[in-house]
Parts: sequence; C-alpha cells; structure tokens
Amino acid sequence: MKYALFLGCKIPSRLPAYELSARAVLGRLGVTLVDLEFDCCGYPARNVSRDAFVLSAARNLALAERAGLDVLAPCTCCFGTLRHAIRFLHEDAELRLRVKQALAAERLTWSGNTAVEHLLPLLAREIGADTLAAAVCAPRTGLRVAAQYGCHALRPSNVARMDNPMAPTIFETLIRATGATPVDWPRRLDCCGDPLHEANGPLAASMTRGKISDALESGAQAICTVCPHCHLRFDAVPAGAADPAIPVLLYTQLLGLALGLSAKSLGL
Amino acid sequence: MKDASCISCDVAVIGAGMAGMAAALFAAQRGLRCVQIGNGGSLLFASGLLDLLGVYPVAERRLWRSPYEALALLAREQAEHPMARLAVASIRSAFESFVTALASAGLRYAPLGEFNRKVLTSIGTVKTTFGVPRSMIAGAAALEARPPCLLVDFRGLREFSARQIVATLGERWPGLRHQRIEFPGAESAPELYAAHLARALESRLMRERTINLVKPLLGDARAVGFPAVLGLARAGEVHAAFEEALGMPVFEIPTMPTSVPGLRLLGALETAVSKLGVRRRHQASVRALVFSAGAGPATLELDGAQGGERVVARAVVLATGRFTGRGLTAYRGQVRESILGLPVHQPDSRETWHQRDFLDPSGHAINRAGLEIDSAWRPLDAAGRPAWPRLFAAGSILAHQDWMRAKCGSGLAIATAWGAVEQVARQLRRVGAG
Amino acid sequence: MSQALFQTALYASLALCALGLVWRASAWFLVRIGPDVREITFSERVAAVYRGTIAALFSRDLLGLAGAFFLDVLLLRRLFAHEKLRWFGHLLVLVGFTLLLSMHALAPLVTANLFQGYQPTLAPYLLLRDLCGAMVLAGVAMIYFGRRRPQPGLAQPRRPLGMVFIALLGFVLLTGFLLEGHKIASPRAFQRMTERYVGYSDAQELEPLRALWASEFAVAFDHLKAPIDPGLVAQGRKLHSDACASCHARPESAFVSFPVARMLAPVTGLLDAARADVWLLYLHVFACFLGLASLPFTRLFHAVAVPLSLLVNAAATNRGYSSAGRAVQRALALDACVRCGICDARCSVAPLARNLGNAGLLPSHKLIASAALANGRLLRPGRESDALRAADGAFLCTDCGRCTSSCPAGLDLEDLWQAARGDLVAAGLPAPAHWVQERPALDWAESLGSGCGLHAFSDADAACAPLSADRNSFSRCVQCQTCTNVCPVVAHSIEKADGVDLTPQKVMNLLRLGLRDLALGSRMVWDCATCYQCQEICPERVRVTDIMCELRALAVQRLGAVRGTRGRS
Repeated sequence: MKYALFLGCKIPSRLPAYELSARAVLGRLGVTLVDLEFDCCGYPARNVSRDAFVLSAARNLALAERAGLDVLAPCTCCFGTLRHAIRFLHEDAELRLRVKQALAAERLTWSGNTAVEHLLPLLAREIGADTLAAAVCAPRTGLRVAAQYGCHALRPSNVARMDNPMAPTIFETLIRATGATPVDWPRRLDCCGDPLHEANGPLAASMTRGKISDALESGAQAICTVCPHCHLRFDAVPAGAADPAIPVLLYTQLLGLALGLSAKSLGL
Repeated sequence: MKDASCISCDVAVIGAGMAGMAAALFAAQRGLRCVQIGNGGSLLFASGLLDLLGVYPVAERRLWRSPYEALALLAREQAEHPMARLAVASIRSAFESFVTALASAGLRYAPLGEFNRKVLTSIGTVKTTFGVPRSMIAGAAALEARPPCLLVDFRGLREFSARQIVATLGERWPGLRHQRIEFPGAESAPELYAAHLARALESRLMRERTINLVKPLLGDARAVGFPAVLGLARAGEVHAAFEEALGMPVFEIPTMPTSVPGLRLLGALETAVSKLGVRRRHQASVRALVFSAGAGPATLELDGAQGGERVVARAVVLATGRFTGRGLTAYRGQVRESILGLPVHQPDSRETWHQRDFLDPSGHAINRAGLEIDSAWRPLDAAGRPAWPRLFAAGSILAHQDWMRAKCGSGLAIATAWGAVEQVARQLRRVGAG
Repeated sequence: MSQALFQTALYASLALCALGLVWRASAWFLVRIGPDVREITFSERVAAVYRGTIAALFSRDLLGLAGAFFLDVLLLRRLFAHEKLRWFGHLLVLVGFTLLLSMHALAPLVTANLFQGYQPTLAPYLLLRDLCGAMVLAGVAMIYFGRRRPQPGLAQPRRPLGMVFIALLGFVLLTGFLLEGHKIASPRAFQRMTERYVGYSDAQELEPLRALWASEFAVAFDHLKAPIDPGLVAQGRKLHSDACASCHARPESAFVSFPVARMLAPVTGLLDAARADVWLLYLHVFACFLGLASLPFTRLFHAVAVPLSLLVNAAATNRGYSSAGRAVQRALALDACVRCGICDARCSVAPLARNLGNAGLLPSHKLIASAALANGRLLRPGRESDALRAADGAFLCTDCGRCTSSCPAGLDLEDLWQAARGDLVAAGLPAPAHWVQERPALDWAESLGSGCGLHAFSDADAACAPLSADRNSFSRCVQCQTCTNVCPVVAHSIEKADGVDLTPQKVMNLLRLGLRDLALGSRMVWDCATCYQCQEICPERVRVTDIMCELRALAVQRLGAVRGTRGRS
C-alpha cells in the first residue's frame, strides 16, 4: 500500500504529533507514504470563491495523479474538501473546463483517477480491524474512549462514503481493536465547534463544551480524534479550568501504544 | 489507483422508508449481505407509533380493538390486499423482530400484546395504534383511567400546546390540567425546536433544572404528560429519570411531524441496520436498474457524488413507496413505476382517480394504485409474469391497499417487508443450489 | 587623493550611515504591530531590549547565542536549507566583502600590522585581492540569477532599493578592477615610481628596466612592442632586483586585473593623459563612501537587520518574548525581510492567490501591508481597495507556518500575521464573517439596490453559486423543519435572544420566494458550521449546507462590491 500523504496546513504547524504518530503506525503496518509538494486543500476559499477552492484542491489531486498515487488525508477537513472538489468537478462541466485550463498552465492534468482516502477506512478496511487486533501487543484494556468522527468524515455521505452517517461503527470497531472500550455518547456525531471559532467564538465554545460534558457524562476517559481541527479544539480546554476538560488522544496514538510503539515516537 | 465504485451484495433494497428499513433489517438478520439505497427522510414524518391495522373496512370506518381479528377478516374478504398474503403468525413474528431490533438500538416499545391502544395526539384527539414507545405508554393508561393529570408544555415550542389538548379533552377528563414553563436557559429564545430540547435534556444538569421547574406544579396529579422532547439518543434514560424524580408515570405526546419520535425511530433503525452490516447509500438514487438473464445478478447504477457507483446484487427489493416516496410517478393520463416503468394497477382514467367528495369515507381509487405482485412478492410485467425472477416489492408501492385510511402504515411496511425478504431468501437459496 | 577631501567624505558618510542606522533602529522601538503591543511605550521597549541583552550575555544562553551567530549569521544555515545557489552566493559575498573591507580598504590599519612587509603589489596579495573581488562578483551574480521568479500572474512585491545597492557594489568592483588594471599598464605610473625609487633621470638608462616591465609586468609602453629584445630584458633584471623586486611581484596572479591591463593596453596612453588613475580612484573611493552612507536606506540594510533578528530569536528561544520584546521583534522583522520570495513560493495558499488574482495572500505582500498598516499609509484615502485586498488576503491565510519555517531570516511570520490581523480588525477591516454581520441582512439587501431582496442571477453568480441559482435545487423544500431540528448552531443559540436571525429552513424559504439577497447577510448563513447534518438528513435531499457555503461566497462578492469604506474607523 502506497499513498501520497496530504498533511494539509494544520497538522505540520499545530499538531506535529499527528504526523509523527501516523507515520509511525502506518510504517509499522507496511503502508508507504510519499511526500509531494501539496498546497492548501482549498477549504478557506470555500466561503470566497468556488473556483478558487476547487482549483486549489484539483491542483493537489493533479500532483498526486502525476505521481500515480492515491491521496491519504489524515485531516478530516482536508479529506472532505478534496472530495467535495471532486464532486463539484464531476457535476459541473464548465467548472471542469475552467479548472483543466488553469491546471494546463502548470502542465498538470486532472482526469478523475485520484482517490482520496481517510485513515479510518484505510485502517478498518484496507488493512482490516482484525489484522490490527492481531498486531496489538499492548492492549489498552479498560480505557473508555469516546470516538470523535468529525463531520466531514461522515457527511455528506455521498461525498465522504465512509460509513452510515447516522449510525457509523467504523471508528468504534477500530477502538475495540486496540483493546480499549468505545463509549456510546449522544453527541458523538456533532460538530466540535472549530469551524466557528473565528466567526463566532462564544457559539463555538458552547458547542465544544456541550460535547465535552456529554463525553464525560457518558463515562469517557478520553476523546479519540482523527482530525487536527477537532483534536486541537478539545485540547484547547485546559484541565482544571471552569469549563469541563477531557484528555484528547489521536487514534494513531492510541493504536501506536497498543502496537507497542514508544510514547515518544507517537508525540506523546 | 483502484476502482472502488463497484460493490456486490446478495440483496439491494431500494428505499429507506419504513418498508425499506424493515426489509434491510430482516434481510441482514437472515445473514444476507445487503446494500440499501435512499435517505431515511420519510421516516421523520413518522410519530413513533406503529400502526398494525386500525380500521376495516375503510368505507365503514370501523375501529378494531384487536388488529389480528381485523387482519383475519381482511384476509377472508380482500385476498388481494398485501397484508392478506401473510399468515397472522408471520405478521406477529415480523413485529416482534422489528421492535426487538429497535430495542437493541436503544428505542424501547411497550410489550406488543394482542390489542390496539388509544393514545393522545398533540391536538387533543385520540389515535388508535398498536406499537407504542415506552415513553408514551403511560399516556395510553392515563387516557383510559383518566386520573388527575398534568400536561406540561414549553413557551416557544410552537408545535405543541398543552392548553389546546386540555381544551379539547377537558370535559371528558376533569382532572386534566396544563402548565406552561420556560425551558431552562432558553428564557429569551423567541422560538424553540423539539429536537434541541430533546438533546438538551440528555444532559443531567438540564434534566434536573427542568424537573425542578415541574415539581412545584404537580399538585394532585398522578401522571404527567410532556411533548415528545424527553431525550433523543438517550430517550429511555431521560424518560426513566423523569419518572423517578417526579415519582409518578410520565408520558410523552407526539408532536406534529417532523418530530423527535421520528428522529428517534430513524436513528434506531439506522443503528440497527448499521450494526448488522447493511451498507447504506443515503444520498443516492437508482439511475438505472439492469437485470441479467437467468441466474445472473442485477446491476444498479447509482447517481450521487463522484461519478456515481455501481451495485451488483443477486436480488432486489423495491420499497420506494408511492407518490410521496417517488416510487410511483403520475404522468398526464397514467401512473407508472418510477425506476423500471413497471405496469401499475390504477384506475382506468384520470377522472376516476378521486371520488367527487375529497373526504369520502371509502377513499379514492388512486390511493389503492400500485404494483401487482405474484405469490412470491414479485412485481408483474405487462404480460402478468414476474418482471425478473429475483425482483421483489414491499411497502406502500403495492396495490390494493389504502394504508392511511386503514391505519395500517407500519403494519403494511413491516409485514410486507417480512414477506418479501422471506421470498428473497428462498429464491437465493434456489439460485445458490442450482 | 587629497587627504582632507578623503577624510571629509569618509566622516560625512560615516555620519550619514550612523544617522540612518539610528533612524532605522528607532522604528524598532516605535512601530506598533498588533493590538497586544499597542500600549507598550518606547522606554518599555528599550528597557526590554536592554534587559534581554544583559540576560543573554551573562547567562548560559550565551553559548546558544554564539552558536546562532556562527551557524545562522556566519554560515547562513537557514538559507542553506532552502536555496543552495543563493546560499553559496551569499557566502561568497560575505567572505569576499569582509576580506576586501578589512584587508584592502582598511589595509593600513589591519593588513599592514598583521603581515610584515605588506605591499599590495606583492604576492599573494595580488591574487587574494582579485580573488575576493571575483568572489563578490560571482556571489552577486548567483544571488541575482538564483532569485525567485514572482508568482505567475501576480504583482511582484515592492523591494527596498535592491538594484541601487547592486549597482553600487558592481560599480565599486568595476572601478577597483579598472583602477588596478590601469595602474599595471600605466607607463605614467612606471615613470612616477622610477623617479621615486630608482632616481635615474636619463631615459635611456631605464630602457632595460622598461623592457623587463613591458615583457613581464605588462606595462604598455608605446615604443616597446613585442618582440622585445631578450638581451635588453636580461639587462633590466639587475636593476629590477635592486630597486623594484622588494615591492613588486609579477602581476599575472591578479587574475582579473591583469587581463584588464592587457585589454586596456591600446588605450593606456589616452587614459594616462586623462589622469585615469586619479579619477578612477576617486570613483572607487567615493562609490564606497556612497555605499556606506546609503547602507541604512538600501537593501543592504538586511545585512544589519537579519543578523540582529536571528540573534534576538536565538536569545529569546529559551525565555520566550515579553510583550515589549515581541513588539521590537515584529518591527525588526519588517526591516529584515528583503522580499526574497522563498516564503511566497512555499505559501500554501499561493494557488488561491493566483486564482483569486490577489497577491495580498502571499507572505511578502502581507508583510508590506503590515508595515503600511502600522505606519498608517494603508488607511489613507485613495488606498481603500489596497486595504480591502490586504484584509481579504490576511484572513485567507491558513497559518500553516511554511513561511516561518522557510524564512532564511528566521522571522516569526505567523506571529506577525496574527498581529496584523488584529490590526486589521481594529482598523475596521475584519474577516468576511464579521464585516458582513456589522449590518443587518435587510440593510445589505437594500444596499444591493434590490429593494425587497429580489435580484436576478447573473451568469457570473450562477457560475459561483450554481445551486442557489437553480430553482430545482431548493424548490423541493417542504419546510418540514428537519434541518432546523438537527442544526447544532440553532440548538446552541437558544440561550441567546439574538442567537440566529433565521433558521436553515427559513433560509431555504427565502430562496424559494426569490429573496436570496435577504439571506446573504443573515447570521444563520455566516454562523453555519458546515457540519452537513441538515443536508444529510433532508427528506427532500436539498443540499442545504452546500447552498449555505455558496451564499457566503456570493455574499463576499456581492456585498463586497457595495461595501465601500463603510465601517472603517
């Protein structure tokens, strides 16, 4: 298995532990990761110009296509944005033409053959939760974990194509593979609040607080994430603050620990 | 780079209303690999109450206490009615399977029993139904015994008025009172939405604050009714907490659709099929359905994002509903099945679709339009033969039923899905053996 | 050269340079970037720098500082990591220039004291001087040809007098080589030297020496052309070793000036007649003085600001910055940046910048805008569109940090961008979510001239917001409220009376009624978290969230066009 690793903007600058742990875990599982000169997925431009957003995404897809690789996007927002761009390119012929022309100026082409994959299905289906469970040598038995899917991993389901958007099981299955126990929490499918943190801070904070309280009330000892935005959002609440706080763990870190990798190699 | 856009399965269920969900559920329970296409949006219009058969014959508007007796009569008198094709024992099994699956997905129903029940609606009328969620069952008991009872509503929740229910029922139920309270923390909100309250009440703190507001209002009440906002994913827990804290039976009254009970039902069904490994395609519809001859599979071309997707299925269940579900399409002079253009049993001409009087108790001919099927639940082609050996149909797309007037919507969906899936399994075994 | 003139010019340029440096440095204590440092006074900054310097010099940090000086300042480690050619060029210039300055320009003070019997005309000094000059020339060429091309289709950032500095440097080197070449070839210089050191007055007696110098020292005597009698040359050797050899080595090792001398040979007579040795020296020296005086005002200033910035960074690594220290560091960053364009090439949103045609997204432009905002120029009348573009660019930055990690000057650009965004907000130029919501939705609809909000969709609108332009995408909506029921934004707004003005279902209804423009400025549209709950569950499969995103993009374009300068303070 070989993928072009699309780290996006947030992971290298704000959450290098995600890159570190993803590389460590995937390396152990025999997945080869290739680094290409990717740029922004295009997400910030969605509120400004559809063309600019799709073009920025398509340029990345074209780079992967030139390298003959599928893209693996550990950031759920990048994953969603790249797949949205593919959707828009498929359904809008004029947009497709404009993008193709713009890419041609850089001698790039997009022919729609690049798949964009997320860590969860890669681990659960390509590698297989059973394979993971078999490879686990230090099971995290007794750890109760709340799975935070992240909106764009699930919705819209015809873009994300990951799991049942109303009742997903893929993340819980992967948590079980590490020996930990996934908790059922009512707000598990809700937004973490991060997208609104600049536009409406109090509202975003209210959404985050709601989720953390819910996870705690449901008996979770930690929230497990697969998106830097969600992760940093929960992580921003310091323990002991007036607001409820909860430890946050990246799934790659949880899995890495279960696979017997050192905490240091996982950025812990 | 791989082509991930083709998946294969034993059975493809087209449709995600009550019948489609039931069919996918029953198929998966039988161990069939199932793909289900369609979003579950139409379930949001459900009240959470599961009708079996309330009225028969429709023209006489005769209400039945025992749905099974009504079914027996229906089977004798209207052999072409889809529910007449099933043994009563099968219908029982279907309902039990269905509510058991819902319970395991967190949505509990009161034990089904033998009889229909009467429950309150949000406008104060009484509805006859069969399967009642646990959170509403105390309402049925209260309606029967009529003890002193408090109905609570929330300022800003426009879709539910306790005052109106009391105004409608007060003469016949003297101990019925109503009180309006502010939803804690939402005192300044001009408008409230049921689902938001339901989610908020899943937090222990919000629950306690609400209960504390209600307690002083109880008076002599021996039961308390609320709009159906007592929790969403944790409805059972929230309801139990209210009963414990208030020390008396607490019941919910379904609000106008789209309602919290609809969201709960949708959530529970999605959870149930998801746990059984049904692969769902929510935001997709079938662009083309092609059958291969003989024992070969059917191929479904789905539209949706990213250049579409192909599903290869050994059998197909059509549960696309009638007009609102878009299973049937009305053209100028004719009704046709939407995906394959199958012939539809329908009135001879458009003039005879409806009675002159819209409220005519016997209903309208167009409301009994639908697909004709053979004894194995397979829709027929123009020549009267099965359109394809492993194409089946279930739910309201079937002809010769008027589920709305007969109060048999869920019953029709669940029972016919059971029947159709039974045939799917049989036919697949035959193909597998051959 | 007249000693008085030389000294006057030297001291004048030194004074100018010093004044310029003081002026530039004062900015580091005065310029305010970022709302967090607005209250910090001049004296607080001076005190912070003083304390920081003392703390760095008299603690274990000194080691780190020394390391940074060696690796970052002298060896240009950060540049090496990103641009090998330019790094090599810089290294050549740095070494060549330093040696020329100390060993050649300051020879009487430095070289003569270090090396016994130093003469500029002896080996190896002939070779070394030319070598240093050539290193500087080659380095400048490498820097020039290794420079970044500007982003295609976007304006190039304005650079601080880059060419003036390169021209001056080139001129100094050119006059230096010409001067040396001319002096090698000049019979007049020969004459002056022999009059002084040989003392013969008879021209004939010097003929053997002339023959030797013409054949071996490339002096261009008119009458001594090849072939020169070897006997005569041999005769001259005796005299040469007595009078000249102690100070003069053969000039071939001056590998630049010697060929120059050869080339000048045909015109040496003319140049001698014109006293080229005098005016070339004047040009050479005065160009040097000009360079010195203009140092604080040209791009060469980065040779001061960058090392300082690197050292301040190194000193602050362990302690972090105080607010006052941060204020200084930000101001220093403005001077240290030479618009090399490495950050622009690495910028994550460069493709967005190209597609939007707004260079304001790129780091170098943002830095210029930050400076212009700090000194108030950006807010002057007539520059409204520049200001708006700068704000548009600033708020599309993803804070990916690639500019910071690639900056050869080690500038903390992310901190600068964050500070600049704060300044933009304070200047009434916030992100779209905020400027749109400064006015009620109805007010915007009126500004669009669409009265009740009716506005025909143009082709351009349809291209950027195809779903919102197409009735089929929203006319299916049956107003069932499901979208509102599942919306976390509406759910979390019930605590506030002024939560959201509309609900998703009401936004869809506005579209159905043809009142799109009323939705553009609505808080619901701008507070949408794009979580896609509504779109996923909609029974009619209306793409509610996709439409919300489109409406925002449409709002930025439409409302941006009628926004004008309103709201600016």
